[in-house]
Amino acid sequence: MQEGNPIINGTIFKQTLRANVKLWLIFTIVLTLLQIVMVAVFDDSTLADVSHLVEGTALAGLLGQTTLLSMLASTYYSIHGVIFPIIYIIMTANSLIASQVDRGSMAYLLSTPTKRSTIIVTQAFYLIVALVVMFCIETTAGFITIQVIHSDMDIVVADFIMLNVGLFLLMFAISSISFFFSSYCNLSKNSLAFGAGIPIAFFLFQLLSSVDDSLNVFSYFTINALFDTTAILEGENYWWKLIVLLGLGIVLYIASLEVFKRKDLPL
Amino acid sequence: MTIISLQHVTKDYGHGRGIFDISFNVEKATVYGFLGPNGAGKTTAIRHIMGFSKPQQGIVTVNGLNSWTNASTIQEKLGYLPGEVALPEHLTGEQFIRMMMDLRKVNDDTHCKKLIDFFELDASGRIKRMSLGMKRKLAIVTAFMHDPNVLVLDEPTSGLDPIMQQRFINFVREEKKRGKTILLSSHIFTEVDATCDEISIIKDGHVISSFNKLELLKMTEKVFHVKVKNALDYKQLGQLIESNTDFHLVNKNESAFELQIGCYPNNLSRLIKLLAAIPILSFNEVPFSLEKHFMEFYDRRVGGELP
Repeated sequence: MQEGNPIINGTIFKQTLRANVKLWLIFTIVLTLLQIVMVAVFDDSTLADVSHLVEGTALAGLLGQTTLLSMLASTYYSIHGVIFPIIYIIMTANSLIASQVDRGSMAYLLSTPTKRSTIIVTQAFYLIVALVVMFCIETTAGFITIQVIHSDMDIVVADFIMLNVGLFLLMFAISSISFFFSSYCNLSKNSLAFGAGIPIAFFLFQLLSSVDDSLNVFSYFTINALFDTTAILEGENYWWKLIVLLGLGIVLYIASLEVFKRKDLPL
Repeated sequence: MTIISLQHVTKDYGHGRGIFDISFNVEKATVYGFLGPNGAGKTTAIRHIMGFSKPQQGIVTVNGLNSWTNASTIQEKLGYLPGEVALPEHLTGEQFIRMMMDLRKVNDDTHCKKLIDFFELDASGRIKRMSLGMKRKLAIVTAFMHDPNVLVLDEPTSGLDPIMQQRFINFVREEKKRGKTILLSSHIFTEVDATCDEISIIKDGHVISSFNKLELLKMTEKVFHVKVKNALDYKQLGQLIESNTDFHLVNKNESAFELQIGCYPNNLSRLIKLLAAIPILSFNEVPFSLEKHFMEFYDRRVGGELP
């Protein structure tokens, strides 16, 4: 498919894979292990004890109900599973475009008959595929762990899958932000300032808003709130939120392409 | 036939940096020298030829194609050697060559192998571990690997040892004989002097002088070094030269009885007649150096409204 397709360049994709696969592997392993551990350590009796302990404190809101999925929703799906992929995205998105422009090595790609659009589409394709595969592995590992360790429990598989789809869509949207600034900025430091600053700010806003109701206002300033785990678990309507994430991602990836095609490159 | 053409190209980066109303043409099978100090705008002009930047005003074409709108098409027949080597460090030299061949859709590697042998490139190691000279050689091989018709070379010999510099200069001459059109930017006189037919001097973003080297040689004053026997002859010759407006005394050394006489080519026979009357020990021409001509432009304050 890569050889025949004029938009995605197989040679560039191969080199990008070669240069980035190590980082991807590390983050995928960490994320998968975290997922497995978080699922494995769940024990409804200990959690019931804990929720008694924190009853009436601010942390009570964090824990909420004591099912496996709700526990995961308030821990893994709002902290670990969010921040690790964000770090991966920040590092990778910058290295895919901005750092190559900054270092000047992009000149070699552009001194061949390769279109700018081909470079952008190939690099974006890599980032998206890397995330898809990362979350497929993580989801599969989590699913297997649930089946093996909590075979006695009654877990709604569809909800578990939707949590992961939602998390992936959030990461898709966040990756589009980092990728956009990587395409827009000629200097790594600027690309990182925005491409890392904005996703981390979103993460912190989401974290703050979940600590206490009085801080709930922060949830209006973060796209992370669109990955609404409560809505997913309680069967409320969450589709439009996920569609907004998907749409945002698509728009910003297209914007990356357009901005890179038109800009001056200091090569 | 014009291969590379810049017409009134302006790109203002602010603070007096950039290029301003630059125009020149590079004809087929010639070597065009682009000479200027660091920061004069040579690389900026090259960026526009390569289609990396869009001119604010004016138009740049390569083989008749607009280099901004047809950047990728132009690259099929163009070889580019960047001024700064920035290669993908995670690859080995061989992997990089392979990748560039794939991207250029070059299947036959005989030409590439020839280049590797000619420049004594050892491409086996990781690029990260290569010396600057080796990286430059690698960049040279990748610029010429597809046997392009047009070459854009930004300070090509920097980082090469003197033997390799000479080899590269010979190589550029051979390529010219094969009909290649070459734009060579440099701040080193010797490489421009040795290779270029047409030369433009750029300073502070303005082309301040453009000339044909052969015509310049015909036009410029020639300097002759004359040595006479004794003080009497020395004095007599000195007076003869100084009293004649056709010639001028460039330099004199009384203790050695030596004089340097400047003379335009059309007055040459008159000078020889004049010298014939005086006993001379030696008489030879001081070779023309582009450097001298160039230095005049370097020092002079040219460039319009700049601070």
